[in-house]
Amino acid sequence: MKQRITYVVTEPEIFSPDQISVEKGKNGERDIFQVKRLEAAKEHRITLGLDELSKHKIPFDPEVLKKWHELHIRWSPDNPNFTIAPAPFTSRVSPGLHIFFTPSTEVEDPDLCQDVRSVFRNHHPQFKCTTSNETAIKMPMLSERFTMSTALQYYTPLFEKDWKSSGMGDWIGDITGSTQPPSYVDVDYDAMSQAVVCTIVWSNGHGLEKSWTDQYFAPEEDSDSTVEIGVLSHEANTDPEDYQFGGFLTVPGRDDKPKPTRFQTPTRHYPLLDSAPFNPNTAPQLSPLRYMTSVNRPTGLHPTLTLTLPTNDLIAPDPTCKLHAYLTLPSALFIDKYQFKDPLFLASKNLVALRSISGATDLEAPDWVIPQWGSAALFELAAPSSSSSSASSSSSDTEKSSTAVHADHNISIPLHLRYLPASSSTHTPISVPWPVVFWACRADEGAKHAQNPFDRRHLGYEALFGPKTRFMHVQPSEDAARLVERIEVPVLDTRKVGMVEAGTMGIVVVAFLGLCWVLFGKINGRKVDGEKKKQ
Amino acid sequence: MALSGFFRSTPLVFTTASLLRVAFLLYGLWQDANSPMKYTDIDYFVFTDAARFIAQGQSPYARDTYRYTPLLAWMLYPTTWSGTFWFNSGKLLFAVGDVVAGWMMYRILREYREMGKERALRYASIWLLNPMVATISTRGSSEGLLGVFVTALLWAVLKRKYVLTGMLLGFAVHFKIYPFIYAASIVWWLDSTKTEHDAKGRTQGSVFDQLIAFINPQRVTIAAASIITFVLLNVAIYNMYGWPFLEHSYFYHLTRIDHRHNFSPYNTLLYLNSSPGGTQSTFELERLAFLPQLLLSALMIPLALAKKDLPSTMLAQTFAFVAFNKVCTSQYFLWYMMFLPYYLPDSVLFQSPTIGFTALAAWVVGQAAWLQQGFQLEFNGYSTFVPGLWLSSIVFFIVNVGILGVIIYDTRMRGDRTVPVKKQQ
Repeated sequence: MKQRITYVVTEPEIFSPDQISVEKGKNGERDIFQVKRLEAAKEHRITLGLDELSKHKIPFDPEVLKKWHELHIRWSPDNPNFTIAPAPFTSRVSPGLHIFFTPSTEVEDPDLCQDVRSVFRNHHPQFKCTTSNETAIKMPMLSERFTMSTALQYYTPLFEKDWKSSGMGDWIGDITGSTQPPSYVDVDYDAMSQAVVCTIVWSNGHGLEKSWTDQYFAPEEDSDSTVEIGVLSHEANTDPEDYQFGGFLTVPGRDDKPKPTRFQTPTRHYPLLDSAPFNPNTAPQLSPLRYMTSVNRPTGLHPTLTLTLPTNDLIAPDPTCKLHAYLTLPSALFIDKYQFKDPLFLASKNLVALRSISGATDLEAPDWVIPQWGSAALFELAAPSSSSSSASSSSSDTEKSSTAVHADHNISIPLHLRYLPASSSTHTPISVPWPVVFWACRADEGAKHAQNPFDRRHLGYEALFGPKTRFMHVQPSEDAARLVERIEVPVLDTRKVGMVEAGTMGIVVVAFLGLCWVLFGKINGRKVDGEKKKQ
Repeated sequence: MALSGFFRSTPLVFTTASLLRVAFLLYGLWQDANSPMKYTDIDYFVFTDAARFIAQGQSPYARDTYRYTPLLAWMLYPTTWSGTFWFNSGKLLFAVGDVVAGWMMYRILREYREMGKERALRYASIWLLNPMVATISTRGSSEGLLGVFVTALLWAVLKRKYVLTGMLLGFAVHFKIYPFIYAASIVWWLDSTKTEHDAKGRTQGSVFDQLIAFINPQRVTIAAASIITFVLLNVAIYNMYGWPFLEHSYFYHLTRIDHRHNFSPYNTLLYLNSSPGGTQSTFELERLAFLPQLLLSALMIPLALAKKDLPSTMLAQTFAFVAFNKVCTSQYFLWYMMFLPYYLPDSVLFQSPTIGFTALAAWVVGQAAWLQQGFQLEFNGYSTFVPGLWLSSIVFFIVNVGILGVIIYDTRMRGDRTVPVKKQQ
């Protein structure tokens, strides 16, 4: 087992090297590395070889992994207080459970659904999975030659409570020794490396102080386990395509004290920084930009998802950057791709284009005949016109007036509901996870992204862009109660349908017989001549 | 005065009908260019997308929800040429089709209802100057085109052009399936008395003699021509586009669930029966729904009425087909609207204002009640499936059946009149 633990301090000004220490073991005892009351985000990465899995009680039979060529699980909670983490943990997926995978060519008809059910111990009806063959959706191929993505994509709404009670949630809690709700969890497996890599990120520490006080023992001398602990802070650097971290690295058992370190790397996922001019002497300031997602009420059968961003902070970090939203929609909702062709319609919604859509796109089918879990869509969004932003920065007077008029930039994404099964209530609730929002910008050094020790892939959207792309992530608003919208879908209420069948059939039969009488019966007390001739 | 002068001039009426459509077309262009809400019907985008696929050498069925014959996409081939004019040329085609259908209606009224010019123009204007008809075709819905084919079919029968009749029938069925119901009325109407005057005595013969009498040359010609046309068209198109053609143009209509709310009385029941957790026990009921619909529209109405008055029979058939259909949307109303000019002139609906206005008011109120419930569901998200939508669709159905009863009764009575027309002039 290899462990890599990284703390990224959130308040570098109050960090003191005294908060970390190495205590040498005496009398053959192991060395201990300690952090004390460290205010930081934390990543815990655990790498397990296939042969180590059962020893560490992973909550599934290791044999099931052989069905997959690649398997990438991404989970993100619906609570905004946990989900927003600093660099280098800024990339996001929509709340819920995402699985990106490629079946092995050596196994016939491999199925994911049963494993997912047993690992996540969920029998809730909204857990839509019949067989992965028909439930998973194909990832759009940007290019056959350069494909970096998996073949298939699966998603199910699985939020905080269900995660905690799931086998996977349990196991992660045990192995990391942390009860703090994570900001996200990644589990990666591929047949090449024959290893499972679990990455758990927390946006902050335990308790009221939101700080970490942890101890790590050096591994036993004869084991092949390793532990590496970094305590880093995000630093300013001169290259806008890079980020830089400085701090201390420690390998307990090898190092007598934390070793200073500093590294700079091009990165695929970049935090969105303040638009203030670059200053190499101060720590990078994060942009205050946040987005809200809402559903227009009443939703009817055609809900509109609205993204709201404050106009003043919505400034492209670079001229090559384009604002995007990536939606993960359960099958009860669908997008009509043909709506997004008309420039006037797009402009009225502050959309530029629907760049990609995959999955359940049938425009007519009710939910119960859709085998797929849903669909995934990438929209390019219109940013506020540059004239208004330049006007607002030209003088404080115009800034005031422009904020008064265009305080918020709204983007509307029209969706449609499928009919849901009749039920013993008037409405059936569905959960729509907030989309992820980011600027996609050109990155000349895209080829080096994979060398970044914090690189993160298989998020659904990054494979829809070329390799020379970096993502500047916009974070969701902490003011929201949940990063999930609930829609009450009107359904046929089975408590009231008693008369429907008999009533309909009765009326039709009566109408039919009545018409027969009008057709062939007597008129004014006599049969019409024509009738006699016939029979 | 001015109005009667207007209806005395054929060029004036047809120019007005054409100008009406031109005005609607131009307005549509303006609205499409200036508003995110489009005048153009969503179906028109489906047709033109399919035409574009054809132009690229692909199948029109590459476009989702294209459920029509590829001939439609071929007809709209010019819409793939660049420029706004060509893109909208399909609407022009539909509008021209509308006016041509109107002209044929006028000729039928003149020749076979023996109407004077002014009266014929007045009644043809139910179609020609109807804003609903003009809107539907200029928005780019293909239902207008169907008006030409079906009216041409009627005209060909009345003109006794049997090969042409058969070909049009075969083509219309290929185009939209439902015109097959007209086969029965046309065939029944075409007994020997319609063509020769020597057949009076034969009806007294044996069953075999009657059968021989039934299989007359006209009927055989029409049957052969329609079947050959229908089969040739389908074989040719199947060879070009294969299984998706059959699947989308024909089988889809047999297997569709029709769960989304629409005017049909069966709608709520179909939603209930197709939904998991609904009542599956009587699943076959919805298949039985074809029974009253087809018995009435394809068999009983033709048998009872066709020999008395063919156009009115076709109206009653279409009315029954639409009222008893498993799915019904407002474009289906156009299907029977094209027969109103032949039936209404001597109908009790026009002769008795009480019956006429009651029928119209009941129809409008039934529509409005349903639309109100539909709006509450579609835009406000209220669960109005039961009782609201169900009851209003049942009430609308009862109204339709009532009107159909009046049409049938009226047509039967009219058959008794020796001189059916010219009374009022």
